[in-house]
Amino acid sequence: MSVKTLASAGTVTKRPPSLTRRLNLAAELARIPLYLWALVVLIPFWWMIIAAFKTVPELMKNPPTFYPQNPSLDSFYDPNAAGIGDDPTPDSVPGVFQRWEDVAGGFLRFAANTFGITVVVTVLSLLIASLAAYMLTKTAAPGRRIVFVTIISSMMIPWQVSLIPNYLLTSDLHMTDSYLGYIIPGLAKAFVVFFLVQYLRSIPDDLVHAARVDGASEWRIWWQIILPLLRPALAAMAIFVALGEWNNFLWPLIIIRTDELMNLPMALSSLNNAIVSSPGSMGVAMAASLLATLPTVVFFFLFQKHFIKGIALSGIKA
Amino acid sequence: MTVKQTAGPERAEAPEPQAAPRRTGRPTHRLQRYGPAYAMLLPFAVLFIVFLVYPLIRSFYYSLTDFNGIKAPEFVGFQNFTELFLHDDRFHKAIWNTVKYVLASVVLTIALGLVLAIAFKSTSLRDRVMRTIFFLPSVSAGVGVILVWRWIFMVDSWGLGNTVVRFFGGENKAWLADPAVSIPVLVTMAVWGGAGYAMVLFVAGINAIPDELYEQASIDGASKARQFWHITLPLLRPVLVFVIITSTIGAFQIFEPVYLLWRRSASIVGGPLDSALTIVPYLYDMGFNRFQLGYASAIAWVLFLIIFLVTLVQLRVTKTFKEFE
Repeated sequence: MSVKTLASAGTVTKRPPSLTRRLNLAAELARIPLYLWALVVLIPFWWMIIAAFKTVPELMKNPPTFYPQNPSLDSFYDPNAAGIGDDPTPDSVPGVFQRWEDVAGGFLRFAANTFGITVVVTVLSLLIASLAAYMLTKTAAPGRRIVFVTIISSMMIPWQVSLIPNYLLTSDLHMTDSYLGYIIPGLAKAFVVFFLVQYLRSIPDDLVHAARVDGASEWRIWWQIILPLLRPALAAMAIFVALGEWNNFLWPLIIIRTDELMNLPMALSSLNNAIVSSPGSMGVAMAASLLATLPTVVFFFLFQKHFIKGIALSGIKA
Repeated sequence: MTVKQTAGPERAEAPEPQAAPRRTGRPTHRLQRYGPAYAMLLPFAVLFIVFLVYPLIRSFYYSLTDFNGIKAPEFVGFQNFTELFLHDDRFHKAIWNTVKYVLASVVLTIALGLVLAIAFKSTSLRDRVMRTIFFLPSVSAGVGVILVWRWIFMVDSWGLGNTVVRFFGGENKAWLADPAVSIPVLVTMAVWGGAGYAMVLFVAGINAIPDELYEQASIDGASKARQFWHITLPLLRPVLVFVIITSTIGAFQIFEPVYLLWRRSASIVGGPLDSALTIVPYLYDMGFNRFQLGYASAIAWVLFLIIFLVTLVQLRVTKTFKEFE
């Protein structure tokens, strides 16, 4: 129950102020478990952050410490860590930036891969989806309806159904283990087209017609009129697509073999394998997780309004 | 959009059958006229057909074959499906685990999301801060967060899970080695990650309900509970249906947590005694560890059919509820 409606209810029915106050208090008490849940929500983040700055002995202390007692950057870069071939020392393991020595740039390379692929996929998939959406809503080309229905029905199909054929197809095209094979199969996103079509329907056709009367080509109308009008919808979809791509795991797991082409989720997954044999690497895994998660959280705080609006929009339009 | 739509003769909207092309000329004229339009659809259409429609057909064909990726596929009819449904105990286990996981995670996520939305729906600073906190897991969903959960559920006594259990007087638990807690662990992670997302959608839905309805109801003496039951819930129905269906579909496709939490060696998927084995990890195991691509394709199609049927039932059920009102 919200404070706002309770207060307005109080004024409407002319409740005595003491009753309103008591109701507010009850509502506040009822929220206590939810504040505890907020704490539960935050704890894994806190646990990740402090683990990234703990030393190996402190990581395995019992009971665990709830803040790093002597914060160190060893999990990122440990000057005392043994190189390959040396006897491993129990108290220091190679940090995030000391691993993958055969890959130029190491962890930074994976971050660059992830960033580049996310940008390319987001831009390209939105461009082609907006073209399709424009064609489907603002032109009278015959066959639009059947195309639209086909695209909508495809949204019901879990993408894993096409996983195996797509793997074989990319391998037939000699695109496995390459950026192309990573990027191209995922570019046609039915949900984005559907969403943009819904959005474009609420935009009056007059502008388009006026532009056509003035002799503008369809491409120019799309570029100069439709894209600017679509901006809020594109922002919402860009967030969806970018977030999904940043965390993309199953597809690269299947088609990427070379370390140079790994993205962040794959690098994290290989650290996940490393902690089985050496639990001391947990701090390194947490440091890497922190580095991989931080950009999305920062991005969220920068574009919080768009995030929330986009999600709300997707729920209401769909 | 506040601008009212004008219903001129030139209005063209895709899904309306009566919006016929204005002028129909000879085919060549039509091509000239609509050429650019089709060209605009082309990039999407090509990618859609090559990487979605064609693989779909190919996947269906493979599901009827015995195929290991090297030798040519050998047609076996519905043998893969009869094997799956009648003899494959691992698959039955995967289905059962998935159903338990989907039911628990969807119900809890939506219930909690709804409670959070009702409690923190205003634009006050406190509510905005709280909503941001609850939403954080949704933006950071990914492999990194799964590793944190693995770290929390460490078997050792210094794991956070065990520390909390001991604080409340319990004994150390081997979380990720105990088959009985595999699904609860997955559900916990799902609710942690998904409730905030559902909350955002519900807040948008609740705030779209006009205040006058509640004011009117208060004047008529309706209690808060009745207002919730007779105003909030019915008007929230479309959003509720959307959240239920999308989160159900998403839950059926769970893969990463299962793959990463219990990972000890390359060829084992599914946790202790397969207690965490769900459909997509099983598909991955069959397809990419054992290279039984025909069999794995059959699993993919079963997944599709299950999701399709569940969505239909959910739509049907919610429609029945609507007719009741």
